[in-house]
Amino acid sequence: MIEIFTSPIVLGLILLGTALGITVGAVPGLTGTMLIALALPLTYSMEPVHALVLLVAMYVGAVSGGLISATLLRMPGTPAAIMTTLDGYPMAQAGKPGRALGLGVGASLVGGLVSWLVLWLLAEPMADWSTLLGPFEYFSLVLLAMALLAGVGDSTRAKGLLAGALGILAAMPGTHSATGELRWTFGVTSMNAGFQLIPVLIGLFAIGKILTDIGSEEKKAEQSKSHDSSYIPFKQWLPHWRNLLRSSGIGTVIGVLPGVGANIGSLAAYAAARRSSDKPEKFGHGSEEGIIASEAANNATVGGALIPLIALGMPGSVITAVLLGALVLHGLQPGPLLFRQNPEAIHAIIGTMLVANVVMFLLMLVGARWIAKLSAVPRKILSPLVVLSCLWGAYALSGRWFDVFVMLGFGILGWLMERFKIPLAPFVIGFVLAPVAEENLCAGLMASGGSYLPLLTRPVSLAFIILAVFLLARKETKRKKPQDLVS
Amino acid sequence: MPVHSPYCPCMAKASPITILLCLLLAVLPHSGRGDDFPTRPINVIVPFNAGGGSDIFTRIFQKAIRDNRLSPQPLVVENQGGAGGTIGSRMTKDADPDGHTIMCLHDGIYTAQHYGNADWGPDDFEPIAATGRSGVVIAVAEGSEYESLADLMKDATNRPYELVFGTNLGAPNHYSALFVQNGKPGAKFRFTQTGGGSNRLNQVKGGHVDVTGFSIAEYVQYKEAGIRALAVLSEEREAALPDLPTALEQGVEATHSLMQFWWAPKGTPQERVNYLANMLGQAMETDYVKERLGQLHIEPIFLTGDELKAKIDERGALLNQITIESPPALPPLHWIILGLTIIFGIWAWREDKSKKAA
Repeated sequence: MIEIFTSPIVLGLILLGTALGITVGAVPGLTGTMLIALALPLTYSMEPVHALVLLVAMYVGAVSGGLISATLLRMPGTPAAIMTTLDGYPMAQAGKPGRALGLGVGASLVGGLVSWLVLWLLAEPMADWSTLLGPFEYFSLVLLAMALLAGVGDSTRAKGLLAGALGILAAMPGTHSATGELRWTFGVTSMNAGFQLIPVLIGLFAIGKILTDIGSEEKKAEQSKSHDSSYIPFKQWLPHWRNLLRSSGIGTVIGVLPGVGANIGSLAAYAAARRSSDKPEKFGHGSEEGIIASEAANNATVGGALIPLIALGMPGSVITAVLLGALVLHGLQPGPLLFRQNPEAIHAIIGTMLVANVVMFLLMLVGARWIAKLSAVPRKILSPLVVLSCLWGAYALSGRWFDVFVMLGFGILGWLMERFKIPLAPFVIGFVLAPVAEENLCAGLMASGGSYLPLLTRPVSLAFIILAVFLLARKETKRKKPQDLVS
Repeated sequence: MPVHSPYCPCMAKASPITILLCLLLAVLPHSGRGDDFPTRPINVIVPFNAGGGSDIFTRIFQKAIRDNRLSPQPLVVENQGGAGGTIGSRMTKDADPDGHTIMCLHDGIYTAQHYGNADWGPDDFEPIAATGRSGVVIAVAEGSEYESLADLMKDATNRPYELVFGTNLGAPNHYSALFVQNGKPGAKFRFTQTGGGSNRLNQVKGGHVDVTGFSIAEYVQYKEAGIRALAVLSEEREAALPDLPTALEQGVEATHSLMQFWWAPKGTPQERVNYLANMLGQAMETDYVKERLGQLHIEPIFLTGDELKAKIDERGALLNQITIESPPALPPLHWIILGLTIIFGIWAWREDKSKKAA
């Protein structure tokens, strides 16, 4: 593993990826998903290992960067940093912006390292275990993933299910993933391969976001003026060890769950930290524990989300869905075989996760204030640049104008979904998992001679289905909003 | 390298000798051949994703042609995967027949037509050359009860439609399995869609399918992961696996293999087809191609012209002995999802309305 990371190109890519990730994470209006979807076409001509290194570094950076604008500008650069805003900004207002950043950056590092360790230890055993999953189990696992998204996500259950169904629906036109028959192509030859992941993603996340932003007022940044040191001595970290470990653990576990990402991870860890704190009243008014919980957890989701990606080819978050696309584009099929055939790809992903966390820590300590200035770049400069790179990215996929129209179409859909508060994450996961579900269901039916019974008679499949039904049938509780967690 | 531009940079400070050299260079490329081909990079469509077997195979020739300067213009590999290779092959079929767009596609060109996934086949292209043949093996999980192909076929005869054969439906891999089934009257398998090589490995290892097929290159690579070959479908034993008996030796009248072909769109001028065939023939002679094909256990055959056409007809005709039994009825998932989307949409809409009212 080490030899990959002594190459100057690889280290350069990690530095570049992490820095870009932190920047888009910090700038409201740019997101990690957008960055990775746009960078993916650029990586076609790169070696697979280099492409993975760059994309994983971007992922680590993007989850971390939001903390800067959340703390200094009171604008969470990513949804993952919403909880950080609640305590980071009051602390910065109280004259300690440096300390708030230092706590957040340090907690991010710990969260990243803890989840890296779990990833490193669990990915291979889990991949070996995955051969026990047959077609019926994979199909039930997809059902469970969709139920989780609808039942645990941050929107109502109806809208979560609607988004998931829409995503699956968008994956239907083109070639039947099991039989190869064409359906819903309306006689358009370009539709034979269906809608491609990259134009769909760029459309939903980049174009959709820009369309949404056009209609909304640009928030003025409220920059705090005072300067203090970001350095926090080791001794001052000691009282927080329990919170650090708990939040990292929560983040890792939530990361593993399909489709539930960094924002839910930090919300859950924040709530847990508040419950077990001696000073719950400080939460929301500059609590150090709050910053630590939120930041340790959101970084920890990265390692968690990578585990099912590598082991099963099941994405645990929107960004890992894009990474799955990247692996497949480079001819790498996730699963137990990847460990045998392309160990360098696994090493690249796991190693980058470690190195990028350290690079993130150093970059953020040194450069946080500079990056905060970047987030003040007005939208009228940013948006045209993003639109241009979207057009290029969609066209570069295979040089077809069809993909550009697909991207624009899904941009409008993304804008509509945002308007009606339909979440995007279940849509993307549904879109990515639909072929997996269909192929496995059909393979299972062909093997069973057309009988659906094995879905219920095979124990693992039955367990997945019971869990999915339980999640959906549960009484819908009123969802906690971030603001409800602070008095 | 031919210089087509009338402008020559060395004219600026020209001595008589350089002027002469320039003129000579400008004239030379036109004096040899009548047909000016190729005038731009040659697009080679690979109808599968990057990194797969067909992609690796094509790029071996691309590299050999570039490194040995066998073509004045580079070969550009374009991956157009999806739909079992039919998306890329349709693109090639519809491309300008000027020799600048060609395709590398194996026996999948007939199997897709025979299976009904494509309504075009070899007759809709100009074949350029065949440049390799790969043996195919039938394999089971290491712990499987079947010690030989004969064992397996006996069980498939005693218990028809019980054993599950993992295949890539409509692809040559599926037809290998069908030839095996045909090779023993009375034997019947249940064929299931298991996709590409690595998926087939996982499924056979995990016991989700009883038996599956691999190319020799795949098998050699996966063997350690816990699978065991029962037979090779070549006419004679393969050098890479000298201890593995053929199906014929075990009383199963089945032979099959995978041949790699290069195709141009119908109507491409014959002299350009010949030019391309000649270029591929020269590439076959390079040490690099010999070495790489050896590593992949691909037999370096090379066929062109009438010999090639006869081979294509022969391999296509073999499929006529096969009849496809339709798989069990599959759910119309797309209509079910459309229905669910409408139901969830109405639910979400009513929820919003009741919230507004409250």
